[in-house]
Amino acid sequence: MTQTFTSTQNEIIRYVYNETSPSENRLIEEWITGDTENLDFYLDCLQLKEEMDQIVLVPKDITLERIFDYSKNYKPAY
Amino acid sequence: MDKNKVNESELISAYIRGDENAFTILVNRYKSKVYTTIYLVVKDSYVAEDLTQDTFIKAIKTLKEGRYNEEGKFLPWILRIAHNLAIDYFRRAKRYPNVVFEDGSSVFNSLNFAEDSIESAQIKKESHEHLRSLIKKLPQQQREVLVMRHYEDLSFQEIAEATGVSINTALGRMRYALINLRKLMSKTKYAYDTNLYIDSE
Repeated sequence: MTQTFTSTQNEIIRYVYNETSPSENRLIEEWITGDTENLDFYLDCLQLKEEMDQIVLVPKDITLERIFDYSKNYKPAY
Repeated sequence: MDKNKVNESELISAYIRGDENAFTILVNRYKSKVYTTIYLVVKDSYVAEDLTQDTFIKAIKTLKEGRYNEEGKFLPWILRIAHNLAIDYFRRAKRYPNVVFEDGSSVFNSLNFAEDSIESAQIKKESHEHLRSLIKKLPQQQREVLVMRHYEDLSFQEIAEATGVSINTALGRMRYALINLRKLMSKTKYAYDTNLYIDSE
């Protein structure tokens, strides 16, 4: 199968998100180690993934209180 | 009860039997995932608060009415509810742009962050606000795939099925999203052109 620039990057993204098989991993690792551009793309993906992991937002306490109140007071119709 | 040792199935069963503390543990365990997922789609903290509430209310009704049948898979289930509500809102807002909340810096003023030391919280807040603001700039289809893959933890195949596109299109949107984010962050020199990619493949 001919690998294009685009499909190589798609496979690297699947690799970064642990969606590739062991045999695919070996092939992708060859692409990454054998091509600077692929390596840069891989490292950028990893860094972005790590940074996105750090985005942790939480709802306000008042929102949670409303949820808990609703749960305590909710009685199924049946 | 050690909440760290209690798994989802036990918590759900306890809640269905009337143990409100079990539900509190579930909400506290997943509130951030739910809220972040919604916020990154709707891009408005007030709307995200409302939709977070709606998400958990739907879950409460389903659980208390005995209609929950995905034992052990609570997180993907509730994230799907959150995602659907967020997308519904997004589509409605797109259809009726005059009733949409303003999308701008002011929305950040009301954001809550997980507890941390004041200094580290400030550093985190600044860097995360920056990245969050960049994610908000992505074209909707790219942002949707990025949120579904990264925050909802759906596979690219599941995203393709949920959004009615091929897996290659889903991957292409994710690729553009990551490339565009990197470009916006301007941290590396890429061999790509300087325009943001808009169309998916």
